[in-house]
Amino acid sequence: MTQSLFQWLSDPSPSSRAQARLGQAWLAWLRLKRNHLAMLGLAIIVLLCAMAAFAPLFATHDPFVQNLAQRLLPPGTPGHWLGTDDFGRDIWSRIVYGARITLYIVALVAVTAPVIGLLIGTVAGYFGGIVDTVLMRITDIFLAFPRLILALALVAVLGPGIVNAVLAIALTAWPPYARVARAETLTVRNSDYIAAVRLQGAGAGRIIWGHVMPMCLPSVIIRVTLDMAGVILIAAGLGFLGLGVQPPLPEWGLMISSGRKFLFEQWWVATMPGLAIFAVSLGFNLLGDGLRDVLDPRSASR
Amino acid sequence: MSLLEIENLRVTFETETGPVQAVRGVSFGLGRERLGIVGESGSGKTITGRSVLRLIRPPGRIEADRMVFDGIDLTTASEKQMRALRGPRLAMVMQDPKYSLNPVMRVGAQLMEGLLRRDRLGRAEARKKAIAALEAVQIRDPERVMEAWPHELSGGMGQRVMIAMMLIPEPDLLIADEPTSALDVTVQAEVMAILDNLVRERGMGLIFISHDLRLVAQFCDRVLVMYHGRIVEELAAGDLMNARHPYTQGLLNCLPKIGGSREPLPGLDRTGDWANV
Amino acid sequence: MSDFIEIDNLSVTFAAKGRQVQAVKNVSLSVGAKESFGLVGESGSGKSTILRAICGLAPISGGEIRIAGEKLTEKRAKNFVTRVQMVFQDPYASLHPRHTIDRTLSEPLAIHGIGNSDARVVRALEDVGLPSSFRFRYPHQLSGGQRQRVAIARALMLEPEILLLDEPTSALDASVQAEVLNLLNRLRDEHGLTFLMVSHDLAVIDHMCDRILVMQHGGAVEELARADLASANMKTDYARSLFAASANRMLETPPKETA
Ligand SMILES: Nc1ncnc2c1ncn2[C@@H]1O[C@H](COP(=O)(O)OP(=O)(O)O)[C@@H](O)[C@H]1O
Ligand SMILES: Nc1ncnc2c1ncn2[C@@H]1O[C@H](COP(=O)(O)OP(=O)(O)O)[C@@H](O)[C@H]1O
Ligand SMILES: [Mg+2]
Ligand SMILES: [Mg+2]
Repeated sequence: MTQSLFQWLSDPSPSSRAQARLGQAWLAWLRLKRNHLAMLGLAIIVLLCAMAAFAPLFATHDPFVQNLAQRLLPPGTPGHWLGTDDFGRDIWSRIVYGARITLYIVALVAVTAPVIGLLIGTVAGYFGGIVDTVLMRITDIFLAFPRLILALALVAVLGPGIVNAVLAIALTAWPPYARVARAETLTVRNSDYIAAVRLQGAGAGRIIWGHVMPMCLPSVIIRVTLDMAGVILIAAGLGFLGLGVQPPLPEWGLMISSGRKFLFEQWWVATMPGLAIFAVSLGFNLLGDGLRDVLDPRSASR
Repeated sequence: MSLLEIENLRVTFETETGPVQAVRGVSFGLGRERLGIVGESGSGKTITGRSVLRLIRPPGRIEADRMVFDGIDLTTASEKQMRALRGPRLAMVMQDPKYSLNPVMRVGAQLMEGLLRRDRLGRAEARKKAIAALEAVQIRDPERVMEAWPHELSGGMGQRVMIAMMLIPEPDLLIADEPTSALDVTVQAEVMAILDNLVRERGMGLIFISHDLRLVAQFCDRVLVMYHGRIVEELAAGDLMNARHPYTQGLLNCLPKIGGSREPLPGLDRTGDWANV
Repeated sequence: MSDFIEIDNLSVTFAAKGRQVQAVKNVSLSVGAKESFGLVGESGSGKSTILRAICGLAPISGGEIRIAGEKLTEKRAKNFVTRVQMVFQDPYASLHPRHTIDRTLSEPLAIHGIGNSDARVVRALEDVGLPSSFRFRYPHQLSGGQRQRVAIARALMLEPEILLLDEPTSALDASVQAEVLNLLNRLRDEHGLTFLMVSHDLAVIDHMCDRILVMQHGGAVEELARADLASANMKTDYARSLFAASANRMLETPPKETA
């Protein structure tokens, strides 16, 4: 059964659109599987997703229940093996529930910023001339501000909160995608296959959407996975500064922020969420590197 | 004495869909002469050429019973030894100049790099040599080309720059992989004359890879015909037009000829026993 | 109204980084309906640019082009794309790498809202001699010759009258070149096509074309009938030198000079 499924997937002459597409994905997966570091990255991210989805199963305590009798217990204490924070809440359980918030932010940013960037980049690259100049100057203006400062300013205007934090991050994250997409579009724009569809009477919208974007997508996806680490850090940074997620939600950045006060005596309160951020960032980076080898059209030619 | 000897060369690629045998037991020897390798695309010509320089990247794997260049055993040479050989002694002009030139370095800088680093020449002298090399490959405006970026060159120009670059260190053996397929006939003839000259004057060995049988017949001393990773026929270039192997004959027959008839060209008949090797 | 494609004093000038490059200078030619016309010349002589100018892919700076008596305007008329199609030189660059053959061939039908695309795609594949099992493959799963067949099939999807062929076989092996040339000749007969074909191989041009224009440095050098070529009956030195360089492509190969 599985044998014939594999055969069906790697059939060089697929008999339907769906089979062709699945076959391509299957080959990409096989290529990715060969890259051990990327698989490690993928494992970390899958684990993060599982943790978020089944948080009640993973967590040992309620993340919000305070127990002042047990505050600031060190790691290794029976029942609280990552220790407790200054309100006596179990750090492990908070990290597990925090994964939900992190994933929520990451997912929202991942579906908004790249789309804006792709749209602006491909339109600018395809039309060139004045359109390009105007769009790219706007991009430059956004790029000229340090991201965190811009996000801070936006949150200051919009007011703190998780949705506003996401909005601020997305609005500051799109310019690099626009640049990547534009660069890719410039190389694709003059290719023969674009000339060929133009010759068949296709309009600009159709060419950009159906022919240019698929070529930009891989580089943007790679960029997105590589940037996710940065997004988590900015979200954490906003939380740390009290402008993102509000207490008592167990957001990782917020947890570091509250642990800062006793960093020297009770190091684990800030360190444990820090390690979580580190591990997840690493996971996204490793996966992004692996995807580059798999998705990059230049390496997929064979 | 022979410059290069290869016995039973095999190259295998491990791919997602199973191993691909690109070269399946190729043996030949080469003196200071012009050896042509012809065959359809995919017959393993490029891979054979790259194997001599051991430039096959994983998942590719080279195996050979014997591979000796001028007394040096290439199968056991260290990577360091190979690096020392590539360039000064063994050079290869790659098929696609676009991917072989460094896109973020001016042409002149690339040409002079080896001269400055390896031969420790002064800038002025290196520049003079680089320009001379460009002139040797019939580039009309070498000063301008020195300042150009690779993307500003046309395909033919790029190929000539590649040839110039490979010839600067005066190698003993040059492997030219389809060096003229991006050129039109008039320029093609010029480039061939340059290579010809080098073989004669410097006593260089040349492996000339091409799918153009007529060009190889006109220009080489000896020809190997490859099909599906094997050598199916070896003959003197002068006899190529009278080849006996059905594959070679088939390839010759499908070429249109000036003044020929307008009948459909005969295709290559792949039903013979030879096709299933 | 005997001439189907008429090009009058065509000039094309590219503005590249402030420099003006005149790629085509005052070239005139005319091609009759169902005729096959060849353009030859060294690379960079402006052959491709003429074809691209007809398609509106290169900036025309002077002269005019008429197709069936209608002057081409800056913005091509609606029926232009169903009249003129082009096959590009490099089959590795002219198919979208992330689209299946099916998508590539059905795209023109989708653009023009032509229905029945399944049957048409299958028929188009059949027409160019590809098995229908290739329909959902990606270009990288095809060889160069198969890709060029797909490109030809794509150009014929809209049933044009004129096919512009830019070195359609120069990236292909001898055996595959023969197959593609035979295919083109067969399709020309079956569909009554007019060919305007570029090549630097005189033997290919001789096999395919009735009349030939020799070009150099963007200008027209000499127009030859097919018979003139075989009998080496040229007037200009350049055409003669081009012919001399192709001597090994003659029917009887002259004996080799150097061994
Ligand atoms: N990296 C690779 N992975 C898998 N197969 C390869 C790879 N490189 C080359 N091949 C295979 O090796 C064969 C010979 O290729 P090549 O030497 O490039 O042919 P030629 O130069 O004669 O056109 C081809 O059939 C090709 O599919
Ligand atoms: N987009 C372009 N911008 C600037 N110059 C160009 C462009 N396209 C072609 N050219 C120039 O026009 C000349 C003719 O090119 P082309 O028509 O491609 O020649 P051919 O097809 O005969 O080899 C060349 O010198 C080339 O550099
Ligand atoms: Mg090759
Ligand atoms: Mg051209």
